[in-house]
Amino acid sequence: MFPEARLDVTLTVQSGTVAQVKVRSNRLVQASRLFAGRRPHEVTQLLPTVFALCGTAQVLAGLGAMEQAAGLPPQQRHARQIMLLAETIGEHGLGLARDWPTLVGCDPDLPAARRIKIAMVSVRTALYPGGDWHRPGGGTLAPQHDRITAAIAEVRGALTDLLGADPESILSNFQAWIATAQTPAARLLAQLQAPPLAGFGRGPFLPMPDQGPADLTARMAGDHDGAYLARPHSGDRVYETGPLARVAWHPVVAGLLGDFGPGLLARLTARLVEVVSCLQEMTELLQDLNASQYSACVADGVGLGLVEAARGLLAHRVEVDGGKVKRYQILAPTEWNFHPEGPLVRGLKGAAAGQDLERRATLLVHALDPCVACHVTVDHHA
Amino acid sequence: MCMAVPSRITAIDGFTATVEAFGVERQTSLMLLGEDVAVGDYLILGAGGSFAAEKVPEDAALEALNYLSQVLADGQA
Repeated sequence: MFPEARLDVTLTVQSGTVAQVKVRSNRLVQASRLFAGRRPHEVTQLLPTVFALCGTAQVLAGLGAMEQAAGLPPQQRHARQIMLLAETIGEHGLGLARDWPTLVGCDPDLPAARRIKIAMVSVRTALYPGGDWHRPGGGTLAPQHDRITAAIAEVRGALTDLLGADPESILSNFQAWIATAQTPAARLLAQLQAPPLAGFGRGPFLPMPDQGPADLTARMAGDHDGAYLARPHSGDRVYETGPLARVAWHPVVAGLLGDFGPGLLARLTARLVEVVSCLQEMTELLQDLNASQYSACVADGVGLGLVEAARGLLAHRVEVDGGKVKRYQILAPTEWNFHPEGPLVRGLKGAAAGQDLERRATLLVHALDPCVACHVTVDHHA
Repeated sequence: MCMAVPSRITAIDGFTATVEAFGVERQTSLMLLGEDVAVGDYLILGAGGSFAAEKVPEDAALEALNYLSQVLADGQA
């Protein structure tokens, strides 16, 4: 059988506080090295099936790396950004509809999850009807504005039902929404407003810089045994990547960070804020989108492709030689956020234990949103 | 890495499918799929495997399974 990727987080409690946090991962962080020997377009064709959870982001990072290696500027940027936003909305939407209700003892809202997912999946073919969106150099872009506008409206409708109010109005009246709405999402955030929960999981906040750490290219290039891909860092810093790092500037999130620090409330709210900002950005980008064609892209070189995927910064690095991939590396956001010295561990170490530690730690895992299953165990007997 | 294993549908009962990959059978929900599927089709499952995330064409699934077999044989994380 093929081993199912998972993370295991074990908390050791001593004298009423979390003394130790161990994160065990069986993720195959070097699997992409087997892309060596394939042609660039064969790799970008394979990526969305093999790394399907965030398949759009994976392909776009791969295309960015290959186009940079070929000396091309990034191609069809607006269309690709729209696809990326659609995937992020789909992933956060699944969290809101399917996972959040279970955190307050309700059933998942699968009809809402289905509406959001199906609408966002349709965006790819509404942009590239021929299905060649994963072609290095750009595909045949023939945007169907009406279909994409309808998909955005469908998601807005599903979110309005799910949240109990229009998503934009929620952010303008955040406290009032939490206090009055009876939807599972509002109830979850209302529960988290209690100070011990609101600030649970806060540690030193080290948001990922825009475009990644300055030393990312050099560290990936020098990583011949996969140690960096498994445990990335930038000197003494292990950055946090994802929604909180990206929308910490937003007034609602900034207010919660000021009141409670980078704990559960700020992190889960950041995901909600990001869904709304992604919908707005998608609508804006759609205004200026025109049809365009493929431009040739097969050239040797070295390239790094970076995209802000739903869960954080995703980096692909490629070396192309003789028209074929010589070396291929992928660094995913989960390796930053679930690093043994990363934000999850920083947030849990030293926390007060108490009866519901396992639930609080599980909430923090949800907030940091790993791309594989994650199991939390509390060891009270050490 | 968050690798997805294309799984072949061996049976369907309402919104639940039995799927097989690398000799292991499991059940998954079809609730989040936007297209019809039949026995013999290939699915990608979401994290944890409880929900099918998308249907993939047979040629893409077989190519991915071939690649994943190489990953398994390579055995290096």
